[in-house]
Amino acid sequence: MMSTLKTKYNPTMSHLDYEELYNTSPCGYFCSLPDGTIIDSNTRFLEFINYEREEVIQKKKLTDLLSVGGKIYFETVYSQILKLGGVVEEINFDFIKKDGTRLPVLINSVEIKDTEGHHLFTQSTVFNISQRKEYERELLISKRKADDLSNELIATNKKLRNSSSLILKQKLQLEEFNHHLENKNKQLLDFAHIASHNLRAPVNNLDSLLGFYNESTDIDDKAMLFTKFEIVIGHLTETLNELIESVKIQEDVNIRHGPVVFDVIFDKTAAILEGQILESKAVVTSNFSKAPAIEYPKLYLESIMLNLLSNSIRYRSPDRILKIHFCTEINTNEVTLIATDNGLGIDLKKYGHKLFGLSNTFHKHSDSKGVGLFMTKTQIEAVGGSITVESEVDKGATFKIIFKKNLS
Amino acid sequence: MLKEIIARNNITIHGKGNKSMLFVHGYGCDQNMWRFITPQFKDDYQIILIDLVGSGKSDENAYDYDKYSSLEGYADDIVEICDVLNLKEVNLIGHSVSAMIGVLAALKTPSVFEKLIMIGPSPRYINDADYLGGFSQKDIDELLEILDSNYLGWSSTMAPVIMGNADRPELAEELEHSFCQSNPEIAKHFAKVTFLGDNRSDLDKLTTETLILQCSLDAIASIEVGQYVHNHISNSKFVILDATGHCPHLSAPNQTIAAIKRYL
Repeated sequence: MMSTLKTKYNPTMSHLDYEELYNTSPCGYFCSLPDGTIIDSNTRFLEFINYEREEVIQKKKLTDLLSVGGKIYFETVYSQILKLGGVVEEINFDFIKKDGTRLPVLINSVEIKDTEGHHLFTQSTVFNISQRKEYERELLISKRKADDLSNELIATNKKLRNSSSLILKQKLQLEEFNHHLENKNKQLLDFAHIASHNLRAPVNNLDSLLGFYNESTDIDDKAMLFTKFEIVIGHLTETLNELIESVKIQEDVNIRHGPVVFDVIFDKTAAILEGQILESKAVVTSNFSKAPAIEYPKLYLESIMLNLLSNSIRYRSPDRILKIHFCTEINTNEVTLIATDNGLGIDLKKYGHKLFGLSNTFHKHSDSKGVGLFMTKTQIEAVGGSITVESEVDKGATFKIIFKKNLS
Repeated sequence: MLKEIIARNNITIHGKGNKSMLFVHGYGCDQNMWRFITPQFKDDYQIILIDLVGSGKSDENAYDYDKYSSLEGYADDIVEICDVLNLKEVNLIGHSVSAMIGVLAALKTPSVFEKLIMIGPSPRYINDADYLGGFSQKDIDELLEILDSNYLGWSSTMAPVIMGNADRPELAEELEHSFCQSNPEIAKHFAKVTFLGDNRSDLDKLTTETLILQCSLDAIASIEVGQYVHNHISNSKFVILDATGHCPHLSAPNQTIAAIKRYL
């Protein structure tokens, strides 16, 4: 064959043998009718598919050389593109050879039309791409691996972003907690300061008494001094207990809320103080119809009412009959408890700024201990409320306690 | 809404007439496939051409893999298109898989559709017991492999041009010759939905008048499958065209036009 070619292409020859070129080109050529029937091909094409010429020409269609999957692609993509554009290029099919093995090829096809545009036949060129296909297969595997890896990365990235937002949330929680701790620390520092201050007086007192006691030689004097020890120690113990109680309240921030009915708590409080109410001949009234109930820690409300009511009784005016009225009001976001009396009142100009501090007393009264209002304020603020007071000396006092609205 | 849907399905409308013809291409191509047919109807009908989402020049971003994991998603789009365009007495011409999309749409809103014209329909491509769809799962797997090795110019240069996202006039000519391009991932998904679906039970419910056009030799939808569709649609007519292949509207447009005209 090669020798023939050499002869044919001898430059001394003026004429090339196109048929020889057609048959021996390194690519396959075939010509088919619009219905796909192959009507001519070169030898190379027949070599590709391993068929004899008589077995193919006028007998086989292009689709007869394709697998079933290939036929679907031929019908749904290849032939539509060819019909619409007159040309289709670089389509990869697997030819099924006569022995059943496969040959990956690339096909370019072009429609040949007559002068009126009627489709006469289709010319196709076929390239053997066995080696390139191997390479392509490897590329495809690499691409799939890269895609998988990329998806994995996306998933990991998403996970990282999720944990990052979790960490941010935890950071905010920690900051809040830290803030809370700082507050608590400050409270404790205040408390330690007040406590040491308030405990110093009775301790000094005890110290002096001890001095007298040691110096005294008289047995009666010693006995009298000893009873004074008992009294001072009693007061000291009581003060200490109250201080401990107030610390407990500050710690109890997460105390449980529940539905509480004002009438019920008020009746209970009045019953506890019944003796003092009777003794003082006070007129005690209430009206909780505007806001009958609230979501609130029951123990706190009991303690608040007990403090307010006992304060009113304790600081009554000796000049007139004591009148005490408890009621509630409701606003858009809040419920307010109002306790009014016509007692001694408080000089707010003088004492207003330290009214709710620990161990401040504003009355020269025998059993003023200065712990009640501090505890009340602490209890209210522990669950996010506030307390205010309006008062005029010798006219009376009105305490307003604003609760966050959590009506049941 | 209207604008969005027109862009989503690359809807084009032309022709005149009170009645409308809605052409829906099948798997592998786009509205270009009707170009030999529509000139013969444009004087008497309003012609509505669409690209299914994921095909042709539809909005690729609208391709939701969940929505289009069954033909119902496409049928919902058809119903929506008829609704926003206010179409009535619609003649729906569906090729291949879109014949089934047409059945689903007509079952959803029967009053909208006057007639269905199916070209090469198949309710199920995979063989099943006594039913011969013509293919096995293995054949479809092979098709997917072939799709993988034929990206058909879907390169990073051409894809944005085809999608209409790039102003590249120098590629216009190349674009002119690119038909039936689609994103390879979407093409594979659509192929799975098309060739692995089963809509046989929907045929019996259909009451719309239906014409079934069947090629005498079709590797995708055999005469037996066409006959099956005819037997299960009560109000149907079955016409066998003397044409080969799966696209008589491309390979034998005159016969196809004549058959549709006779029916309408």
